[in-house]
Order: sequence, then structure tokens, then C-alpha cells
Amino acid sequence: MKRIITVLTLATVSLWAGPQDIKFPASLEKLADKAEEVTDITLDANTLGFASSFLSDKTKDEKAAKDLVKGLKGIYIRSYEFEEEGAYSMADLGEIRSQLKPPEWVSIVSVRSKKDGENTQIYLKKQEGKIVGLTILAAEPTELTIVHIVGSIKPEDLAKLGGNFGIPNISMGPAGDNWDDF
Amino acid sequence: MSSFDDELRGALRRVEPPPGFAERVLARVAAERARPGWRAHLRRVFGPAPLRLAAVAALALVIVAGVGYERHARGEEAKRQVLLALRITARQLQAAERGVQRLNARQREPKETIR
Repeated sequence: MKRIITVLTLATVSLWAGPQDIKFPASLEKLADKAEEVTDITLDANTLGFASSFLSDKTKDEKAAKDLVKGLKGIYIRSYEFEEEGAYSMADLGEIRSQLKPPEWVSIVSVRSKKDGENTQIYLKKQEGKIVGLTILAAEPTELTIVHIVGSIKPEDLAKLGGNFGIPNISMGPAGDNWDDF
Repeated sequence: MSSFDDELRGALRRVEPPPGFAERVLARVAAERARPGWRAHLRRVFGPAPLRLAAVAALALVIVAGVGYERHARGEEAKRQVLLALRITARQLQAAERGVQRLNARQREPKETIR
């Protein structure tokens, strides 16, 4: 039986509007129809602030999350899991990629594995040497994930994501706020 | 005198009320005045003042608790979404890092020499 998990936003913003830097194309909605499992998260600044007041300092995960969301203006995630390979094409990501252009956006990681069929790209948006946006496009044979985070992100906060949330440590670039040399 | 005059006089003659009519009217007026108003009616339905106050306080408490519960439920749901979003982000970053490490390891492998 087709199982769809849809996490709906509490915010009143519409699906494609809001302070997000990039716009998700309408073609993603068609992918949602084909997907076995859909995760759709839209959290605007108000919702993040509201959620933050419910995050405790007592547990490690929640404390890390609280620190991280402090400077954020939005988190937008679309993740699709398909039953079979070939349910999506790279063209589906083309419209998003076309919005991630320099000098605003810089591609910092691009991993393509023919063997595993994995294709991951990480883009950062920088302003005055500080990260103000992060976009991850991750394509696997039966899974497509788009993560778009808007707001001030410190590299050490990103590194904090590792070691928490059940994820091993991540070494994310240089320490401090200056990513100019990265 | 004409018959018309007689008829007119007959029609306008004084008719005495039945005995006890005035007493009955006065008694009804007194009864109307004694009937309780809507406030007294409410008082009768909802009981004495302390009970009414308690009922209002209980109602206010239920409303406040309901609003508080609804807010708490929304907050917990928002928190769950934030944690899920960060978990997905962390998983993708880690997958990317693993991919980079794999490429680096491959590049470090000694190349076979062709003889």
C-alpha cells in the first residue's frame, strides 16, 4: 500500500511563497504523486522561533537544534522516496540548480558516484564572508532530497549536526565564520 | 320622543360591572408586579451567587486550559518538525562527507605501474 508521510507546516505561508531564496518548481509536486514516501517541511522564521521555545537545553539534540535555529529564517525540505529507480530525472533538479548561480551561491561540494548512482551537491550563499544560506541537492537511485536553509549559519553549528541526531561527526570546513578561503 | 332617541339611550345606558370585578383586576395587577424578572429567573436556574461564580471560574479554567493545550500541541509539533528537518540535513551532509572521503581515498591509492 502506498504510504505517504506528509509533514505539513504550521506556518500560514503558502507552499511556494515565503522568505526562501530559491523557489521549488511545481514539477516537484508531480514527483510527490509518484513517490512512495514524501517528506515536506516548510518552517518559516515565526515557526522556528515558536519551536525554539519548546526545545529544551537538557537533551543534546535539542540543545544543538536550539543553537542552530537561532539565526535561521527558514528551513524548507522536500524529500521523495520512490519504489523503483528512474522515477525522476536530473532535469527535475535543473530548475533549482539554475537558481543557485554565482556570485550569490557557491558550490562547495559535488560528489558523483557512478557506482552507487549517488549525486550530491552542496551550495552555500555567502554575504560578507558569512554563510546566509545552504542548499543540498541529494539524488540517489530511489531517493531525491532537497534541503534549503535560509539565515545565518555558523560552520561550527553545521558541524554540530554531526554527533547529534544519531549522525556521526561531520567535519565542515574551517572553524570560525570566515569561509572566504573555502 | 322618537324611537331613535330611545334606541340611543338604551345603547348608552350605564351597565354595572359584575360583582367582584374591581377586586379581580387589582389582584391580577398585583400578581403581575410580583412575577420575577429575567435576572431572578437566571438566578433560579443557576443557583446562588457563589455557585454562579464557581461555574464561571470553572468555564474560564476550561477555556484557558484548552488554549494552553492547543498551544503546547502546536509547539511540540513544530519542535518535531525542526528536529526532523535537522536530522535530514545532518544525514545529507554526512553522506556528502562520506562521498568526499571515498574520492580522497581513491585518489591516494597507488596507481598500478604498467610494465
